[in-house]
Amino acid sequence: MKKPVSTTKGVPASQELPKARTYISGLDEVLRGGLPEGRTTLVSGGPGCGKSVLGLEFIYQGALNGEPGIFITFEESAAAVRNNARTLGWDLEKLEKEGRLFLMEGRVNSRVILSGDFNLKGLLAIIEGQARTMGARRVVLDSLDVILRLYNDLARESEELNTIYEWLYDKGLTSLITVKTFGDSGLSSRYSFLEFMSDCVILLDQRMLDQVATRRLRVLKYRGSGFGRNEYPCAITGDGFHLIPLSSMTLNSDSLGRKFSTGQPDFDEILGGGFSQGSSIILSGSTGTGKTTMACSTMLAACQRGERVLYINFEESERAMLENMLSPGIDLRPMVKAGLFRIIPGIPEAMGAEEHLLRFMSIIDEFKPDHLVVDAISSTRRMGSIQAAYEYLVRLGGSCKEKRITCFYINQTEGSHDLYDISGMGVSSFTDAIILLRFFDTGDQVRRQILVLKSRGTKHSSHYYEMMITDQGFELKPFRNVLGTLRSQQFEDRGEA
Amino acid sequence: MSQPVEKTGKGSGDGKDKFYRLRLFLADSEPNSLLARQNLDLFCETYLKDCYVLEVVDVFQDFRSALENGVLVTPALVVIEPQVERMIFGNLSDTRKILEALGIEGARV
Repeated sequence: MKKPVSTTKGVPASQELPKARTYISGLDEVLRGGLPEGRTTLVSGGPGCGKSVLGLEFIYQGALNGEPGIFITFEESAAAVRNNARTLGWDLEKLEKEGRLFLMEGRVNSRVILSGDFNLKGLLAIIEGQARTMGARRVVLDSLDVILRLYNDLARESEELNTIYEWLYDKGLTSLITVKTFGDSGLSSRYSFLEFMSDCVILLDQRMLDQVATRRLRVLKYRGSGFGRNEYPCAITGDGFHLIPLSSMTLNSDSLGRKFSTGQPDFDEILGGGFSQGSSIILSGSTGTGKTTMACSTMLAACQRGERVLYINFEESERAMLENMLSPGIDLRPMVKAGLFRIIPGIPEAMGAEEHLLRFMSIIDEFKPDHLVVDAISSTRRMGSIQAAYEYLVRLGGSCKEKRITCFYINQTEGSHDLYDISGMGVSSFTDAIILLRFFDTGDQVRRQILVLKSRGTKHSSHYYEMMITDQGFELKPFRNVLGTLRSQQFEDRGEA
Repeated sequence: MSQPVEKTGKGSGDGKDKFYRLRLFLADSEPNSLLARQNLDLFCETYLKDCYVLEVVDVFQDFRSALENGVLVTPALVVIEPQVERMIFGNLSDTRKILEALGIEGARV
């Protein structure tokens, strides 16, 4: 009864599985190239997980890249799908008119009457005919469980699914089927057999972490191919689905870039010659110890050399920050005007860590800074959980390292035992330099201290210095302890003590 | 294999005075389709004698027609006239459901 297989492509039996690129940022990396070509992929997840967006982007991007596709929506109206696409900047109508994309509404009218057994051959005939007409190789059925509910009989549902799967396979279509689940993860038992039938299974999940919604994607299986096995944070932003694979930020241990000056000779000196371009630096200390002043002073010097600085500020508004910096004589306003210094205010709670990350990454791509300051990384934990914040920082740091952007992470510590609280979100392991700022109570006054705790690949000083914020930035002096003993020889040698 | 055919039932029937225009969507010769065809022929002879037109469409021969009518499911009976905007899915084994869809009441079953 089955029609002879007419268009099945000769799938090579070699280990090289042909793949259909999704063109979805990050996803092809995790899938090692894309979805299995000519096979069926199952995407499952609860309501609002982004299944439809993922499927639609697969069709949309395919159409843009010379692979026409068919999208059948069983739940939403075609008009709603077009509208949703428009909010992501995708013009489906244009592609539809050009015959590169076919959007079909497969909603079952509520006025339908059932009389006896039936099957979904009509759907298959439409897909076949339409695919032949437009030369489509990609098809998305979103979400198939809606139409299957017509049966109200699990045995018939699985029988029909089997037919559909076999048929799609025979036709050699690269298909993506979405199915709703209502469990915590994985498919509800109702459709668990689908996991066995599909060549590739992708699970989407949206969960709340400390009142912030976070999305996750996991590839459960991929027949005949390797794949990234982690759970990947993902986000739906202004232009589509994004995945942030950790693999894309391989902690490359490339040698550090050239040294650049902080603009403060004493600071350069104790650092062993300044900071390295493209390195990650933590400035750690409790509130008021001068972290922002030190970062801004160093960044002002960078701008004066014509370098570009992006300052992500979770702590205060752009205006407040620029005004506050005038008191220690750091006038960043001309640099802002010249377009060398850009401040991006951020409210950690405003969105999830992934959205923050993608937003900043796109700004970084567009602004192409030489240096990046995150003030303060301790606020990032308000984006959700500590884990989400940590992942955010690791990914941001990794991306900057690849692009040879210097990262200054300002970390606000709490309590007085700063020294062991500096590791800030556990990021210290991938930082190249750690600067510690703290207050020192001499009994009659409180003074600021600075210590270069770590500076990879340099002969930095291991002494405490006194930091004094002046009206022209800051000054460093060898620190005299309570007994008045001079702790450092270096400055004496230079005759500055 | 069924082909798109047009058939007009004639004879002196006890059906209503209305005229019925029906379109039956089938998928080649799969069992439910064959059954639906049989069931519908019998139904029409019994209830709609002389006052119906039946058009049979094989979705694999004419997918565009299926598309235009939004027919994803086969067999599917679309009632074009009178305009009840009704569609019946299935092999039409339940006569009462067809009567209901066509708005024929009090007919003997």
